[in-house]
Amino acid sequence: MTVPTTAPADAITPSIPGLDDPPVPPPPADEPTSPGWFFASGSAVARFGLALAVAAVIFSGFMLIKGVNPITAYSDMISATFGSPKDIGEILIRATPIMLAGLAVAIPARAGLINVGGEGQLIVGGVAAAGVALHTPGLSGGMVIVLMILAAAAAGAAWAAIAALLRMWVDINEAVTTLLLNYVAIDLLGFLIYDTWKDPNGSGQPTTPILGVAARLPVIGTSRVHTGIFIAVGAAVVLFFVFRKTSWGFRLRVTGGNPEAARRAGMRVGALLLSAMLVGGALAGLGGFAQYAGTEFKLRPGFCATYGYLGFLASWLAGHKPLAVAGSALLLSAIAIGGDSLQIDAGLPAASVNILIALVLLAMFGLRKRKAVSA
Amino acid sequence: MILLDVLTGAVRGGTSILYAGLGETVSERGGVVNLGIEGSMLCGALAAYAVTAETGSPWVGALGGAVAGGMLAAVHAYFVINRKSNQLATGLIVLFLGLGITSLFGASYVKESINSFESVAIPGLSSIPWLGEIFFDQDPLTYISYALVPALWWFIFRSRWGVLLRTAGERSEVLTTYGHNLTLIRYAAVIAGGFLAGIGGAQLSIAYANAWFENMIQGRGFIAVAVVIFAARQPFKVAAGAYLFGAALALSPVLQAEGFSINQFALDVIPYLLTIVVLVVLGKRRAADAPEELQKVFEASVR
Repeated sequence: MTVPTTAPADAITPSIPGLDDPPVPPPPADEPTSPGWFFASGSAVARFGLALAVAAVIFSGFMLIKGVNPITAYSDMISATFGSPKDIGEILIRATPIMLAGLAVAIPARAGLINVGGEGQLIVGGVAAAGVALHTPGLSGGMVIVLMILAAAAAGAAWAAIAALLRMWVDINEAVTTLLLNYVAIDLLGFLIYDTWKDPNGSGQPTTPILGVAARLPVIGTSRVHTGIFIAVGAAVVLFFVFRKTSWGFRLRVTGGNPEAARRAGMRVGALLLSAMLVGGALAGLGGFAQYAGTEFKLRPGFCATYGYLGFLASWLAGHKPLAVAGSALLLSAIAIGGDSLQIDAGLPAASVNILIALVLLAMFGLRKRKAVSA
Repeated sequence: MILLDVLTGAVRGGTSILYAGLGETVSERGGVVNLGIEGSMLCGALAAYAVTAETGSPWVGALGGAVAGGMLAAVHAYFVINRKSNQLATGLIVLFLGLGITSLFGASYVKESINSFESVAIPGLSSIPWLGEIFFDQDPLTYISYALVPALWWFIFRSRWGVLLRTAGERSEVLTTYGHNLTLIRYAAVIAGGFLAGIGGAQLSIAYANAWFENMIQGRGFIAVAVVIFAARQPFKVAAGAYLFGAALALSPVLQAEGFSINQFALDVIPYLLTIVVLVVLGKRRAADAPEELQKVFEASVR
């Protein structure tokens, strides 16, 4: 039988699992007493490295079954991912929407909500940004960017708010509704790009017209890396301080730990849950904007596909700590890019890298102290 | 006849959701939510397709699909039961595992064609106007699902095993007190759930679509989870819900075949929107009916 725990989902105990198993010490009061830097403690980093190694070993078993030499495949993956400054840039580009979608999971998770809707929130953010760009032909580029940012954040927030309100009003679990809303967003995207927003001068492909150069996010130097990565990292840093220093961050944590206690302490739990989903959804919406105005410049089928789910996994990998989410997003971005190398170099489908990603997460759960992961 | 086509399609297209919904019902009755049912369906769809291609028998294929679905569910069972990891998050990670595995092993079957299940008209019954065409001119897996619904109802509500299963979901400490093995019962429930979801995936790949392609389940497993919630984990209501969504799924191809020029995506979105609407209408009442141990999962923060 499970003992209801008030320990936060990310409580870290300072011991290496497997080596010692002393009576479980009382969960540390986490922040603000713990250092909270990146993975919060040395043992968490060690556990993380171990999880990665375990996952890589199991995944090589899968590769062997398919007749692929794992050592060659891994070295190809590593050189394709980290081989040149340009490759590092690709990691940053792909990590941008994943990081923002991950933060969109981390904030509600503080309050005990499970937001699986990053995928849909990214898409509606991109759709809102494209809508602004398509309907404001006369405006200057800078003005368009500002309007796109506002529209994308509002759209993402609204999309997430649907799930939060349904949870509050009719008790439907937000994990189920956010998942279903992802499919609604995908169909909304398809509806627009095959119909009213389709580029009349395009090659017949279902895409929107290309975004004008003036309304694009500036790039760093001569690379393809756009300034969206600063939005994502900046959001992570701001959240790091917001969670530690503000009353809102504290209230979210109390609500996530024990909503009844929060309610008795006079907190407006419903408003807190809604605010967490709104802020999270807005960040994911910005992720969609960054992908549109920084990387792709048009909407197409499969826009932002899987980035929302990767963000979800990044947040769980990081125990919902903002800076760790940023790190996890970079890592998952790198693994996903490694998946492209699997396809090119080893002839395996790119999506098979999802096995590796899932194994890293499962190994992390398996190596954690019991109860520490139950939310 | 558009209505008749939609209703026939409702049963054909709803059967995969029905199997997954029945599987999820067993799992949730035992106190475990499994969002990875979507992954079990994927693995079931691929394994059924592959085994059918290799052996030439769709029956062996369906069994292979069931086993594959059960195996993936066993991963979920280990992490949520033994490691006490968050059920909702683990389910999604398990889905990712299923996505990757089916992508890795499925690529070589995309272009292969198979000897799939065919519709079998039941003599006599199939000549009943309307009902005959809707229910009795279907594939064998659909017929089995007709029997499975009452059988599962009997199992859950009338059999001794059903009492143990429901107790695992409602008051697990009672089971432990009486010396039953809670872990074993929950494992059985989750794996049986994945087994049924695997058959659901098999119905999709070797009886309905007669094809395999990456990520072919397209959220049907998630819809099944939603159906189970508003059907309050009652097999007959799950069947009604599954056919409702089968009808919503059938609308798009039927209207297109009739030559209506409606944007395809406006039709494709109907099943998902309908699911949300039905959840809103029935959700509040149903939440209180959920097994107690499940309420801990679903209402981790609110109340």
